[in-house]
Amino acid sequence: MPRSALVDAHHFEAMGTNCSLFGVGLSRGRLLEGEFWVRRMGARLTRFSPDSELSRFNTSAGRWIDISAELEALLRESLRAFETSAGLVNVAVLPSMAAIGYTRPLAFGQPLATDARVGPLAALPDALSVRPGAARLEPGAGIDLGGIAKGWMADRLLESLGPNALANLGGDLSAGGIGPAGTGWPVGLAGVTVLLRDQGAATSSVRRRQWGEHHHLIDPRTGLPARTGLEEVSVVAASGVEAEVVAKAALLVGRELAPVYCATHALAWWLSP
Amino acid sequence: MRTVFLKLGATVLTVATTLLSALYVTSHLKNPAAPLQPAVLTASGASTVSAPGGSLTFGPSVQPSNVQPVTSTYAS
Repeated sequence: MPRSALVDAHHFEAMGTNCSLFGVGLSRGRLLEGEFWVRRMGARLTRFSPDSELSRFNTSAGRWIDISAELEALLRESLRAFETSAGLVNVAVLPSMAAIGYTRPLAFGQPLATDARVGPLAALPDALSVRPGAARLEPGAGIDLGGIAKGWMADRLLESLGPNALANLGGDLSAGGIGPAGTGWPVGLAGVTVLLRDQGAATSSVRRRQWGEHHHLIDPRTGLPARTGLEEVSVVAASGVEAEVVAKAALLVGRELAPVYCATHALAWWLSP
Repeated sequence: MRTVFLKLGATVLTVATTLLSALYVTSHLKNPAAPLQPAVLTASGASTVSAPGGSLTFGPSVQPSNVQPVTSTYAS
């Protein structure tokens, strides 16, 4: 059994969820810098604050506006996610979220669904255009970066935390390096410990953030909360953002095809009907 | 007369091309019993174990461990 190095851990709440940063040989200051970066990015990328960069982008639909390098990177990642998931992962779900009443954090009260019917979502490349330093949304479109932002941020955190670190932002996590014992970072997945080295993990679920007949996971093929025969999917993939995309796509593709989809896109997976 | 020969030639060419194509396809089948979906699950070297509330599958690059996890993935 290899001897374990001491793990430095830092836990905090941000973006409406629990966040944890781990590292071997990390200073307290480096961990705090990570927390501040998460808070800054969370404030810029939330759709619940009208002053956030994402909200300003959403309200500027129909014209090109300048965006930060981080938002540009996330929008490009979203376009890539749309492509690799054959359209199942579509961040242009904001109109559907509004239709089911999910316009504020659930901690502020249960959403009230409207009578609006959004229908199938437009293909993301038709709704969103990105060029260096600027982006444009088609009128009527809106973006909710959701889990993609958390997975992407977990990956970026590893670049600043160092070569042997782990970032977990509300279940979207990214693990870099050999971990405390040299065998990988021990991470819980469906009640089992797996060892991750330069890999990510994520969970997509309809069991949380649900109210009445609704939940937060929109199926872009219908514009409605997904009903696919799967309620929760956890996956390990090459990065945090990739794990998030694969977990969501696997849940949306449904019970029959999810094992095949995961076998071709994930490194480990848990499917719960 | 020339028109008839042209029509006849075109017909013969079409039929010959069809027959040759059919012969080529029939003689070059990789696997006549191949399923429509590739058997990726068995080909990936994955192993599946039952886990609470579902099934857990490991690919060859991820291994389970008895070590206490430092954190977990979960729905938020």
